[in-house]
Amino acid sequence: MTVFQRLSRPFNYLRDKYVGHPFLLVGATLKTLFVSHVFLEYGFTMGACEGASMLPTLEVYGDSVLISKAYRRGRGIKVGDVVQFDSVVEPGSQVIKTVLGLEGDYVLRDSPGTSGQMIQVPRGHCWVVGDNLDFSRDSRMFGPMPMALIKGKVIAKVLPWSERKWLINELKHVQ
Amino acid sequence: MASRFLPKLRSSRPRGFFREFNYTLFTIATWIPAVIFFNGHVGEVTWINGSSMYPFLNSSYDESLEKDVCWTNKWSPITGLRRGMIVSFRSPSNPETVSIKRIIAVEGDLVFTRAPYPLPTVRIPVNHVWVEGDNKDTNKTLDSNTYGPIPVSLIQGKVTHVLWPWKSFGPIRWQEFRSRARVIKGRPENAPGWD
Repeated sequence: MTVFQRLSRPFNYLRDKYVGHPFLLVGATLKTLFVSHVFLEYGFTMGACEGASMLPTLEVYGDSVLISKAYRRGRGIKVGDVVQFDSVVEPGSQVIKTVLGLEGDYVLRDSPGTSGQMIQVPRGHCWVVGDNLDFSRDSRMFGPMPMALIKGKVIAKVLPWSERKWLINELKHVQ
Repeated sequence: MASRFLPKLRSSRPRGFFREFNYTLFTIATWIPAVIFFNGHVGEVTWINGSSMYPFLNSSYDESLEKDVCWTNKWSPITGLRRGMIVSFRSPSNPETVSIKRIIAVEGDLVFTRAPYPLPTVRIPVNHVWVEGDNKDTNKTLDSNTYGPIPVSLIQGKVTHVLWPWKSFGPIRWQEFRSRARVIKGRPENAPGWD
């Protein structure tokens, strides 16, 4: 068997199976779309992000990140993780921020050096703040955010390819 | 029509019972992602737990173990939210459970709150709603009086039809809902915002 025959075998299989069988073709196309949807919703997804709110971590424009959906609804999220969630302020848009407090934690309600008032994060909520405190709409404005809004955790920066890196939570417990 | 295509699907080799059985199972399994998509974005049959919507849903919760069965419409869940609609959303106080409650007030409204809430009145902020259970016993429902106004992006679907029990089968006429005079209707442009 020549190399050509060997390589063209899967295409011959697809041709024999689907050419002249429109219903099979439509069914297979739909199933492929549904499988990819499930993968993007429950597995991993990639997205471009923009905005100045996460500045040292993510650039203002042109960065793409890899998001693991295993952390949806805040499962296994720790303080210091970067999460993607449905916006509280603008429904329909997604936001990326850093988690600064989980349920039961005491957090600073405003930016450091302003009021100094601490509040406790209620049950099922978390406290999210952008890394760039001056240009971020976050929990300091809309308060504790329900964990159910969290869609996933940002695990890596993928694009630009030269700046690719895993986003590792570098917070450690104080000794 | 189908018989024209069926012989093509199977190879000419004879197959044993288990091979045939596995093939059928696999064909069924390939449609599971379609079901997941449908349940997540088109609509889903929902069983109602608990008595928080008594007497409207689960009206016989104290007489039997039977649960009401409803149809939740999940297509564009956050558009066209009105006072009186019944919506389903992930509970703000426990992300792993889905709550079903009634929208009492929308953005801009002034609500007179009930017991656990720390303030006597609250003005609903932009893109938030106030949800409550129908049960008059405030211990039977965990709602906005505990966790405050919820962001509309939490809402997953609208409960539109009752499927079971048979006597209440049909569309839910949420327009007929009258709240207990604890809401002063406002305008969306008066809602507190963050810009």
